[in-house]
Amino acid sequence: MRTELHHDRTSANVVAWRADQIVEAGSAPTLASLACVEPLTRPPEPARPTYPPALDEDSREWLRALRGQGSLRDDAVARLHALLLRAARFEVARRRPTLPHLRGNELDDIATEAADDALISVLARLDDFRGASRLTTWVYKFALLEAAVKLRKRAWQGREIPLEPETWSLFTSTGFRPDAQLEQSELLEALQRAIADVLTPHQRKVLVALALNGVPIDVLAERLGTTRGALYKALHDARQKLRKHLHESGLSLDSWLEEGT
Amino acid sequence: MTQPGLKDTLGRLLGPAGAEVGCDTCFEELDRYVELELAGHNADGEIPGLRAHLDGCPACREEHESLRALVGGEQLL
Repeated sequence: MRTELHHDRTSANVVAWRADQIVEAGSAPTLASLACVEPLTRPPEPARPTYPPALDEDSREWLRALRGQGSLRDDAVARLHALLLRAARFEVARRRPTLPHLRGNELDDIATEAADDALISVLARLDDFRGASRLTTWVYKFALLEAAVKLRKRAWQGREIPLEPETWSLFTSTGFRPDAQLEQSELLEALQRAIADVLTPHQRKVLVALALNGVPIDVLAERLGTTRGALYKALHDARQKLRKHLHESGLSLDSWLEEGT
Repeated sequence: MTQPGLKDTLGRLLGPAGAEVGCDTCFEELDRYVELELAGHNADGEIPGLRAHLDGCPACREEHESLRALVGGEQLL
């Protein structure tokens, strides 16, 4: 049975639960940062992992200390937190240009909070570490995720989430070449009709918010009381429906998506 | 030729064409994927469907870029 991450904001705790318990939107008042329904489509069977061949010595030492007792563990947890804080600050620094309204101390608070939450996640999931990477790489992703989610939410704090296709004008503002205009117009009209007619209201809402209006998936998940995984599944299903409908309508998408720009 | 703005919009609306994993599998595999990439191994062959997901999911793509930059930067030290 797969387990999933659920980030409970109220308790700042991380718990694992069964994937089949969490799909429905609105069923949980908390944010699930990542969720279920995997895989979306069945990729080919993965090759057997060939790298890294075994747990490296550094990772083995980390695990021994983190699973130890007393000062050995306390010291390891402190070093782990420092590592996570470094990663969180790295993420904050990368995104800082997109957050000019946030002051340095606010950004550092976000990094510290992200490191704290990541520490809880890492310690709760330590037994999930398979040694498929170095332990430091494995823990970094928790800190980067926590920092990224917090920064995306901060950037959208207090903003209305546009759920209607208000950016539909994108289609007409791309400057069609006169000789291509008719063909492009036909495609866009078919796509617009398909979005209106083929998708469920929920799929349409998710597609419009994420793909047209650029709402971050974590932000939308929080506003709708659902999970990132469930939203991406809805987006994926919507995209597949649109592709299928356009294909059955005789519209070739490859020429539009793969031509040079 | 497709206009860049139109192509981007279509890409966001229609997503990747191939099979892809979801956000949860992406997170589970991201550390291994990044280390495979940085080691010059065939990450896409080892973890099918992850690259397509990164193409279709901006949030996971950002987190991949960050992890790759962080770990790759450390290796240069």
